[in-house]
Parts: sequence; C-alpha cells; structure tokens
Amino acid sequence: MPLQTKPVEDTVPKINNEVAVGEDLDFQRAWWRVERGIWIFFLVLIIADLLGAFGRGWLAKAHATTQDKSLDVSYERIQRYSTPSILRIKIPGSIVHDSKAQLWVSEDLVKSLGNQRVVPHPDRSVLGRNGILYTFPVSTPPMTLQFALQPTSIGTNHISFQSPGFERLDLKIWVMP
Amino acid sequence: MTTVIHAVIGYFWLLFTVRFLTRRPGAQMTPFEFVLVFLMGGVIILSIVGNDRSETNSVIAVMTVGLLHRLVSALAVRYRGFAAIVEGIPVVLLDRGEWRTDVMRKMKIQETDVMAAGRVKGAKSFDEIRYAILERLGSISIIKQKE
Repeated sequence: MPLQTKPVEDTVPKINNEVAVGEDLDFQRAWWRVERGIWIFFLVLIIADLLGAFGRGWLAKAHATTQDKSLDVSYERIQRYSTPSILRIKIPGSIVHDSKAQLWVSEDLVKSLGNQRVVPHPDRSVLGRNGILYTFPVSTPPMTLQFALQPTSIGTNHISFQSPGFERLDLKIWVMP
Repeated sequence: MTTVIHAVIGYFWLLFTVRFLTRRPGAQMTPFEFVLVFLMGGVIILSIVGNDRSETNSVIAVMTVGLLHRLVSALAVRYRGFAAIVEGIPVVLLDRGEWRTDVMRKMKIQETDVMAAGRVKGAKSFDEIRYAILERLGSISIIKQKE
C-alpha cells in the first residue's frame, strides 16, 4: 500500500511576510478577555469557599431547636461528599425519664448522611417508623450526643429527629459533590 | 462508575485551569511550574481514586484519563478552532527590535525570559534577536537577525 502524501503548502499565516507563525491576535485578545472573566470567577469561588458556601466554614454551620426546646441541634447545613462532620444534639433534662433518653432519627441519617457512630454509645437501638429509635443512658442531664457523619449521597437530604412525645425537628442538609 | 466520572471531571477541570494559567507549564519548568504540576496532580488524584485504593480502580482511572487525552488530541488535530482553545496559539513577543509590551504583560513574560531563550540560540544581546515567539506549548522560539 503506497504511503499517502500531499504537497507542502503555505498554510500557516506569516508575520511581516517573513516568519510563518500562525498568530491570530483577534483570537488572542478575545481569549484574554475570557481569561480575565474566568479568573474573576475563580476568585469569587475561592472567597465563597473561604466563607463556607461549599461547606466546612462559617456559612455552612447551622443551629436548630424545636419550639418546645426538647432538641437542640448543631450541624453543618452544607456538607461534602464522603467528608466527615459532627452533628451534635443537646438533650435537656425534660426528656430524660428513669435516667434514660430516647431519640428517634430518620433512616436518611444512616443511608444518605452515612452515620458512622454515635457517642455516647446507646443502650438500645430499634428499627422502626422509617428510622432508628435510640435509648441512651443519662447520668446528669443535659447531655450532648454526637453523630459522626460521612455523607454518601450528593444533593439535598432531609433528616428528622424526635424524642417520643415531643416535637419533631426536620432538617435539610445539602451535600456537595 | 464513580472513578470514571471523577476522572472525566478531574481531567477537564485540570485542563481548564491549566489552560487559563497564561504561562503554560511543561516547556518552562521553573520552580513555579513544578509547584503547580505536582500540587494540582496530587490534589486531583485524591478525588479521582477516593477511598478505593484497589488496583482495579487505579487501572480504570489511568485508562479513562488516557482515553480522554487521546480524544482531546484527536479533536485538536481535526478542528483548528478546538486546538486554539485547548492548546493556545503562538504569539509574537519581539518583532524586529520592538517589544510587544501588551502581549508580554498579558502573557506574564519578562524580557529576561526572552533573553534566556536567546542565549540558547547563541544570541549575546537583544540586538541579535529579530523575532521572539511564545509557542503554544510555552517555549520561546528565537529567530536571530540576519548576519
């Protein structure tokens, strides 16, 4: 099979009719304008990140309380995929009975937000009502529970908490890719 | 699946960012470019492989990046406009004894960079350089004055 060839042509534009450079200053000037816009965009993204707009910062931190003050939750409303975070729930003395406190959490806490462990360790955990009912030992209320999260689902996640007989707290957490 | 998606995003995001760095790393490996190449590569690889350190995952990631590179190269050869976007175009820095100062400033090139390239070609001073051209890949080509 013969080798394919073609004659050499002067296809690369010359500068001053001397050197074949292929310069295109109109394209280059347009590129510089785009480049400037992109770097401003990058700067805005970095400032937003420093403020916590993409998680792990001031804007990401949130706090929610039920009206009856039965639950007080500190959490990150913006989290990152597969990145650890801590969700804290303050349990007041009003929901403690016989040195025990019960807390129901919706299943998304485990399924979507990847709950790794609960501190302190619950005495019992029972599956039901599309969630888990934990029973914690309480020696001196108030106590703080810590849920170690590591999200496994990108996007909006809805989670709920409730102490039986008290108000329910619904939270929305956005998980960044 | 996740590895492939992360590799695709990582590849194009890195290409996009490096393309907008003005002075392209690779041909001019000053300490600045070394920092960029190693740091960016190290950061992007973490999100591509994630927690999966298996051989399968690394092989898939490498194959995905390799295929993407081949695809981008093929498109750059086929379409001149695409090549200009991903690889850039040459620009003249020094034209017959005149600096193109706006080009130099925008491309973040110093006169010493041009003289360094000139010395490689045997030029002892700027008088001996007729054209200096910043090439697509970041190197500076020197065309000397006629004897």
